[in-house]
Parts: sequence; C-alpha cells; structure tokens
Amino acid sequence: MNIDYLINITVPMLEGAQMTVLLFFIAIIASLPLGFVLTLMANSKSKPLAWFAHTYIYVVRGTPLLLQLLFICFGLPIIPVIGDYLVMDRFVAACLGFILNYAAYFAEIFRGGLLAIDKGQYEAAQVLGLNRWQTTTKIIVPQMVRVALPAIANESITLVKDTALLYAVAVPELLYFAQTAVNRDFTIAPFFIAGIIYLLMAFVLTLFFKSLERRFKFE
Amino acid sequence: MGIIEVTNLKKSFGTLDVLKDVTFEVGKGEVVAVIGPSGSGKSTMLRSLVNLEQVNGGSIAVEGEYLVKDGVYANPQGIKRITSKMGMVFQHFHLFPHLTVQENLELAPRLVRGEPAEESRRKRDELLRKVGLTDKKEAYPAKLSGGQKQRVAIARALMMNPAIMLFDEPTSALDPELTGEVLQVIKQLAEEHMTMVVVTHEMGFAKEVADKIVFMDNGEIVESGSPDELFHNAKHERTKSFLHRSLK
Repeated sequence: MNIDYLINITVPMLEGAQMTVLLFFIAIIASLPLGFVLTLMANSKSKPLAWFAHTYIYVVRGTPLLLQLLFICFGLPIIPVIGDYLVMDRFVAACLGFILNYAAYFAEIFRGGLLAIDKGQYEAAQVLGLNRWQTTTKIIVPQMVRVALPAIANESITLVKDTALLYAVAVPELLYFAQTAVNRDFTIAPFFIAGIIYLLMAFVLTLFFKSLERRFKFE
Repeated sequence: MGIIEVTNLKKSFGTLDVLKDVTFEVGKGEVVAVIGPSGSGKSTMLRSLVNLEQVNGGSIAVEGEYLVKDGVYANPQGIKRITSKMGMVFQHFHLFPHLTVQENLELAPRLVRGEPAEESRRKRDELLRKVGLTDKKEAYPAKLSGGQKQRVAIARALMMNPAIMLFDEPTSALDPELTGEVLQVIKQLAEEHMTMVVVTHEMGFAKEVADKIVFMDNGEIVESGSPDELFHNAKHERTKSFLHRSLK
C-alpha cells in the first residue's frame, strides 16, 4: 500500500465529505430556529399549539431517523393521488428529514435552557418596563443559549455522524465512497480514512463550541 | 392625599387569604417600613403595587391614577404607565447575569424609553458614583459581592427615574457584614426625600430611617405609626410580641 493509493481513495471521500458538510450546515441553520419556535409553542398558553408541539416532539424523538428518511424519500411518493407531487430530489428530501428531526431535539434542549432561567429575570424585566419581545430577545434567549450550549454542541457532533445515513437513501457521501473502495480493493484503509475525516470534523466543531462557551461565560 | 393609596386590598391563593382588607397610604417623600413575621403578606402587598401579583379586590392608586379600582384593573397601557412610576429592588437582586454592570443600568432606559445613549451614559456614571461602584462598571454580576449586586440593582431601578422606590427585603439575602453598605444607599435616598416603601427585617434601620412603620401579620395591617409610637407604645399585643422577639 503506497501513498498514491491512499491519495487516490481519499479524494473521492473528501468530495463525499462536501455533501456531509453541506447537509450539516443546512440542517443546523434551519433546525435551530425551528427548534426554538417549537419550544415557544410547547410553552405557549394556547392549548392546541402546545399540544401540537409536544406531539410533534414525541413522534420525532420516538421513531428512528432512518425510518423518517426512508419515509420521506420512498414513502411519500407512493401515497395514492398526492404521491406524485411529493417526489423530491434525494438530497433535498434528506435535508428536510434532518431539519424536521433535529428541530425536535433542539426544541427539548431549549426547553431545558428556559427551565433553568430564574423567574426573577422575568420579574426584573417586567418592572423595568420591557415588553415580552424585548424580554425574550434581550434577557431570556442569551441566558438560555448559555445553558443550552453544551447540549447543542453534543447534538451537533451527533448530526455530523448522522449524515452517514445519507448512505441509506443513496445520496453518495463520505461513507459511500469509503464502502465502495473497501469492496473494490478489499482493504480496510478507506474505513480508517473515513474515521479520521469524521474525527477532524468533530474536532473543528469541538473547538468552535468551546470558544462559543467562553464567549457566553459572562464573567 | 398620598402618592400611593391602597384601600381594602384583598388577595387569596385558593382558600388561603394572603391579604385581607389592607389599607394604607404613603405620602410624597415619605419612607415607610413594612415589618412583620414571614408569611404575613408584606412582600405580596409590595409586589401587587407593581403588578407582579394580581389582587382579587380593593384599590391601588398611584399619584391619583388607579392601577386597580375595586378589583378591576386598568387597561394594559394604563398598567404600564402607572407601574413605571415605581422602581423595584428584589431580595435576590435579579441582575441580568449576561450583561455587565453598565449594560444592566442602560438596558431599560435605552430600550423602553429610547433614551439617547449619551444621556444614559451620563446618568449611569452619576448613579454608579452614588452607589460607590464606578470601578465595577465593566464587571459582570458574577464577579460582584451580594452587597455590590444589590447596590447595582438599586442604581438600575433609579435609571428609570421612578417617583417611588419599592424594596422587598433588600438585605435579607446578604451576609450580615454586607447589609450596611446597602442600607447606607437607601438612607441616602431617604435624605434626598425619595418616596420609599421598604419591606424589611432590619428593625434598627426601620427605626432610624422610616417616617412611618407598618406592622403586618397574617395578611392584615395590625397597626402603623411613627417609629416612636410603634417601638415604644405599641397598642396591640401582636405588635409588642413581634417587636420583642425581633429586638432580642
């Protein structure tokens, strides 16, 4: 086994990793705000809204992500009558699945963050005359983020690894190219390289979140 | 006519009556100390003045405007206008931990009043000087002692130029050696003729600074009067025994 061979198999894997990174960013950028909206709904005084949010979170957390992806990619198109309109590009379908799934987890993380905020913070904001929007954006969210940050970091790293599920809906990504090389060349080196690439991505994320945590330390 | 007039205030949590027919008034520039055992309704009464608690009956008028009249509340704008006349200081400070001392002070005037930055900064510096914390303006609350936090909280409330300051056991969460610095600031405000209602367990302070002392027990005002009247000539047995226990 020589260096040339390793480079040869690494290049397609890195190209596959682009898909991984793209999915990661799309999923995280969309699911964080969506998760926060779900948290607000779950905490809302409106019974139907709260019920919807809790049910949604229950269903999404209670079923495998893989099932959800398969459902969106292969299940929706075979629904009678409307199925034809629900055929999506595989990657788009996968993005949708990841966003809907991660939003539920982030919603629960944010809910935990909100529970950690002392009710005195709301009272202080109220007596100073802040309205609800000002209280939420200027007082509550920054403190919630601080509490939620370690859990968000954890979830983000899980997301990087979950992108490997693209494999199951036949979108070629990092792991797909690794598996192809293993089958073709009968060597386990591609698996190691794939592992290293995942670890590198996790490493970058870890550094990023550590620096965010320092910024949100408020000391 | 008092700047605050409270008449027949009633509040209950379920079957528990926490306020039964509370009536009193606070004159302009007056310092009123509210004393009484834990659970007597002092804090609830104070909190209802700024609408942190909703009452079930009675009236609260501030500068002649009704926050609640015979159990019926003003409209939301009215509530906002009336409660904005009062600044509130809590037992546990409730500073915003993610903001520095100066940001804590400037937030509300800038956000709520749209006050020009220059004006807020000038007022902030003046108030921080007043409470003796000029050197802490860049610090986060986590780096302050309890006494310093409470002084920041007082300055934060004063930033909104309230006509009245309410204090809910401002020194009860502090180590004994830190109560002095907070009481000193409140005393200074009294000398400047700020109207204040102070719920407190500090009998010495109440005696020294208050113009009027209100003794509450079991959701009602048992008696009120000048410090001299209450501490030396209390009419009611309940007042006497409370003071006797507290001054021991």
